[in-house]
Amino acid sequence: MPIGLQAEPSAGVAGKKRWAMVIDLRRCIGCMACVAACKAEYDVPLGVWRTIVKVKDTGQYPNTKRHFLPRLCNHCDNPPCVRNCPTEATYKHEEGYVLQRYERCIACRTCMAACPYNARHVLPNSRTRVKIGGVVDKCTFCEHRVSNNLVPACVQTCLGRSRIFGDLNDPNSEVHKLVGGMPTVTLKSEKGTKPQVYYIKPAQQIVNQIYSPPESYAAKSDAEAFYRHNKGRQFFGGVL
Amino acid sequence: MFEYMNFHIAPWGWELSVYFFLIGTAGMAYALATAPVMFGGRFEALRPLQLPGLVLAFVIVLICGPLLIHDLGQPMRFLYPILYFHWTSPLSWGSLFLLMFAACVVLFWWFDRAGNTAPLKPLAIIGSLLGLSMPLYTGNDLMVQTTREVWATPWIPVLFVVLSVTSGAAALAVIGMIRKTDDADASKILHAVMLSGVATTLFLFLGLLLSFLYGSEEMQLGWHILNDQFAMQVWLLTLVVGILAPLALLVRPDIGRRPQILAVAGIASLIGAYAFREVILVAGQLPQLYY
Repeated sequence: MPIGLQAEPSAGVAGKKRWAMVIDLRRCIGCMACVAACKAEYDVPLGVWRTIVKVKDTGQYPNTKRHFLPRLCNHCDNPPCVRNCPTEATYKHEEGYVLQRYERCIACRTCMAACPYNARHVLPNSRTRVKIGGVVDKCTFCEHRVSNNLVPACVQTCLGRSRIFGDLNDPNSEVHKLVGGMPTVTLKSEKGTKPQVYYIKPAQQIVNQIYSPPESYAAKSDAEAFYRHNKGRQFFGGVL
Repeated sequence: MFEYMNFHIAPWGWELSVYFFLIGTAGMAYALATAPVMFGGRFEALRPLQLPGLVLAFVIVLICGPLLIHDLGQPMRFLYPILYFHWTSPLSWGSLFLLMFAACVVLFWWFDRAGNTAPLKPLAIIGSLLGLSMPLYTGNDLMVQTTREVWATPWIPVLFVVLSVTSGAAALAVIGMIRKTDDADASKILHAVMLSGVATTLFLFLGLLLSFLYGSEEMQLGWHILNDQFAMQVWLLTLVVGILAPLALLVRPDIGRRPQILAVAGIASLIGAYAFREVILVAGQLPQLYY
């Protein structure tokens, strides 16, 4: 077991579940319904996301193509966020989820620094309806729904059935068949995190642009406004 | 062209770079202040700086505690890293060490004032080790973020310790000049510590430069961002003010050991020690903001 986790990775372990997601990018139409469903499910505040779909156009008119890359926590089998958390607020569930104990989190943001996928955010203190704030939050693979035999909200709502969820250890599950039978890739696999969100046929351009600042005027303006709003600095280190 | 992306905050801001700088300075200030008790001999020359060194370390600890607590999203849970101690997290170890270090500072002063010399040597040794573990753990806190390439090298903790060695000696040199404790032997020791610290920092700076220039895409992007947005901190404050200027002032012992020169070099290296930490902190985070 990688050090610092609270449960053995269950991928490939007989008799145990290993929840995973496959995202078939041939089917994604960038409708953002998954983002909206997630926002509604958890009352995710403005400015932060549990899941997002990045969009980028490539090419020159008339030969252009629009690429989508849905993103969420990769529920890694070797999660650096879990290892680095000083209070064990974030932990590895035996069925593969990486979850968060709000009552223990001190929002030191070490897990955010550790996550290579930027999949974590701090919940603002000023929330009105849901009172959980001032702690780090993240995608849970909708553990509360999955434990009641439902699929995650983003999967439930996905129009093109681009997002597929299931038990990777179950040979009859769709995710098992897709991961076994299709060429899939994971993000930043070279970091050794063993991510459990698999992508079918991502465009190299959108995977490559992940470190790039925005290019379009609108996205640049958005970025500048975001960082200006956050205390006028290029980056912001505290709780919003 | 259409483009849609979300933007991220860098998790750690100025509070962390200030903390890294201050606590490192406190650690070495304590080690130098207690050196007469620990080693005796020629280090007795530092005896006049013992109380100022202890007071400096204590004041810094008093600043750092509230600063760290304020930085948390849940300040009232500041003891959780100790109560729910997670041994693989450097932050847990750091919280524990910080408390123990603060206790050593207070106890040393207390026993010294009471004239009870028996516990002083063990407290000096343990406190100095804990003091130097402060920059070590802050460096480790960055080093273990293996997914951030700029930080994930074993020399980051080494750099932080070296910066702390310099800044602790520099702070005492400045205090010594203000208090006019003109002792040639004390100046000699502080000069030797600062000169070796600044010279080592120069080599580590060059190492950082090479690792940026020859590094991966992420490293090169970090280098581009640093030159674009933090050029003043890198080139002026870290290299020129923080390394080259003190090196030039200290390189000739006959000049460098003068209290005024030592103090000026100290102030310059203190600025550099802070700027270098800020550079390292942002360089590790900015390349991933758009990911």
